[in-house]
Amino acid sequence: MQEPELHDLSDDADYAASQQQASASVMLRSDSTKQSSSSEPDSAEIVFTKDNVAIHPTQFASERISGRLKLIKQGSSLFMTWIPYNTPSSNATLSEKDRNLYTIRAVPFTDIRSIRKHNPALGWQYIIVVLSSGLAYPPLYFYNGGVKEFLATIKQHVLLVRSAEDANVFIVNDFQNPLQRTLSSLEMPRAVSIAGEPSNISVNESTLNENEERIDSGANDGSSSVSPYRVRSRQRVNDPARDISIQVLEKFSLVTRFARETTSQLFGETQSNGFGAIERRTLEETPRVRSKKSFNVGEKYVDESLVPPDPLEFDKLSLVWGKPRQTPLGSDEWITFLDSEGRVMDSESLRRRIFYGGLDHNLRKEVWGLLLGYYSYDSTYAEREYLKSVKKSEYETIKSQWQSISPAQARRFTKFRERKGLIDKDVVRTDRLLAFYDGDENPNVTVLRDILLTYSFYNFDLGYCQLVELLDSPLHKYFEQHDCLNYFFCFRWILIQFKRELEFESTMRLWEVLWTHYPCEHLHLYFCVAVLKRYRKKIMGERMDFDTLLKFINELSGQIDLDSNLMDAEALCIWAGENGAARIPPGTPPSLPIDDVSLYPQLEDEVL
Amino acid sequence: MARRPDDEYDYLFKVVLIGDSGVGKSNLLSRFTRNEFCLESKSTIGVEFATRTLEVEGRTIKAQIWDTAGQERYRAITSAYYRGALGALLVYDVTKPTTFENVSRWLKELRDHADANIVIMLIGNKTDLKHLRAVATEDAQSYAEKEGLSFIETSALEATNVEKAFHTILAEIYRIISKKSLSSGEPAPASVKEGKTITVGGPEPTKKACCTS
Repeated sequence: MQEPELHDLSDDADYAASQQQASASVMLRSDSTKQSSSSEPDSAEIVFTKDNVAIHPTQFASERISGRLKLIKQGSSLFMTWIPYNTPSSNATLSEKDRNLYTIRAVPFTDIRSIRKHNPALGWQYIIVVLSSGLAYPPLYFYNGGVKEFLATIKQHVLLVRSAEDANVFIVNDFQNPLQRTLSSLEMPRAVSIAGEPSNISVNESTLNENEERIDSGANDGSSSVSPYRVRSRQRVNDPARDISIQVLEKFSLVTRFARETTSQLFGETQSNGFGAIERRTLEETPRVRSKKSFNVGEKYVDESLVPPDPLEFDKLSLVWGKPRQTPLGSDEWITFLDSEGRVMDSESLRRRIFYGGLDHNLRKEVWGLLLGYYSYDSTYAEREYLKSVKKSEYETIKSQWQSISPAQARRFTKFRERKGLIDKDVVRTDRLLAFYDGDENPNVTVLRDILLTYSFYNFDLGYCQLVELLDSPLHKYFEQHDCLNYFFCFRWILIQFKRELEFESTMRLWEVLWTHYPCEHLHLYFCVAVLKRYRKKIMGERMDFDTLLKFINELSGQIDLDSNLMDAEALCIWAGENGAARIPPGTPPSLPIDDVSLYPQLEDEVL
Repeated sequence: MARRPDDEYDYLFKVVLIGDSGVGKSNLLSRFTRNEFCLESKSTIGVEFATRTLEVEGRTIKAQIWDTAGQERYRAITSAYYRGALGALLVYDVTKPTTFENVSRWLKELRDHADANIVIMLIGNKTDLKHLRAVATEDAQSYAEKEGLSFIETSALEATNVEKAFHTILAEIYRIISKKSLSSGEPAPASVKEGKTITVGGPEPTKKACCTS
């Protein structure tokens, strides 16, 4: 059995990295607060201490780590720390280094989204602390009780509200408060925070690793400003499928490993960049899984134990989760992003807002122009109007170029003829079921044809739909072993960015979310991974071969839930971080294909 | 893969539909499997699937039809779909000479990527557009004979010969399969009974390396 291996946290670079990332983001944010602070830190006061609070990094009792949980008040800010005891329990096998991985160093409550308490019928009470970045600490087990007291103490110092949807969830800094929500949508998170004071706290046990400061927390940063935020069904207590599975939580280390494994194997390969160890381990693991399966020839059922556990089993656990999706950005709120002349004041926060909620349909006409780079964010209303008129005449010029090609010219101009034939063929069967394109002689169809043809003329060599020469990199281990070149089963997903998999309205929503390039440029790839991960157990358990997999993926059309997969994609993206980005081969088109002449050299003057 | 009890069949035959874009592959498939026809069906991206189970010479055959994208830009990936196919329906449009001229290119695709023993049927589709016909039946017929293909003309719109086309190729595949198991002295292979896909190339020394793998 490989169980011990799977649970062995020692030397787990992933876990370390994830912890580092989590703590680094906390530290960095603390740091930035510090810069804006003018006052000297007050002396810290310990307002709560609880001994024998433990984490269970693995299922093995011998590897549990006990420590001391504290709440520390400094000025008006409250911090939480959990420091493992220096003397490991008698049979502990974890090294000092490992224990340090789990140390929670002075996390300010402004960075905490929620705390969930669990009171299992058997066993110890524990809590799960979720950061506003979406990351969560491993469960903290209260061997000597005291969860209630812990929460009560917090409540004395920061705003703590019991979730309306789940009595076991306590939300810190309740953003459902209308005032706070309004303020936060105005991007004034710090003004809102209850305890957003300098966090220049010194806790003697905690030492900040110098390296941690280098880690970019951009993907997480500012996330405490998430506006109308609700603790949603994931945390509903009556739904066992959604309950946070403690077993999976204990396999915390696997979370990152598999996220990165999947990502890296989907995106790129084995350049050694610090993850070599993980990849080696993966190589070792998979054959074992296979050989075990061979003992079960003829089985009809899916023995799930043979499938390596998915650390990001999103429905069960959300150690890492994307933030709850929001309602679309509407007109009233849109205005708040603009100055009096129509400039977008903070494009980053606008993109973030659109990322989390998309756009009301009536805003798309205007805002898509910004997202797609047609207008610049700092353009005024007037400049946008002007640009529109200029571009319109440019369009007409190019359009008149192909319109002026005579039939005789066209006969000699093979490429144009072919392109035109292709477009003509496609246009008559594009979205004809949509009201917009419905019916014979629909003028919108002609408009679409003109646009496509004009575009093909504008960018002749690019071709009008050549988005993808993508994912030709080595493949996910399983797929590789089963001759399932990922290129093929993800092909349609990527080529038309899920247009055939989602309803039309959802497609527009997905696209605008992808175009924000928030939190990363290749979110559509993470979206693919998110969808695949949902079915990985089925895929691997049923040992789908190339044909079966292709058919299976094809038949997912119409069954992909946009919001939950977006949340998962966001979580994957955060976890993969810079390393994920590094694995994406250079030249891979981003979610929003950029019109970069250097990337797509144009052939000039072939036309006339 | 686990087999559903209601999914009883003696053989599973994989058949690919190939040919230029817009010749009517998807509609041949939908006519055959769902008795549907859509003038404005979406262009296929990559591949789509449908199955239909039917009786051929007293056997229950499950036909798994792979409807591939015809557009040139997908060529690199569609060839991967030929693997394991026992039959190919190579479709052209009787009103579009270029689609017929391209048949030889598609044959080359098959020879390069599919199993050497794949059964190929040439199909001239859209016979309902009589006034637009631009490829003579005789020309296609003689080409098919020269290349050793079966040949039929169909209209997916009018449902003419669609059933016959699929029946013919499935029967031909079945004949080859059963002859093969006869000549090799084996009984009708048990594995096939289990609903497994069989490969024509099978255990013989393969004449051609399989694609992509």
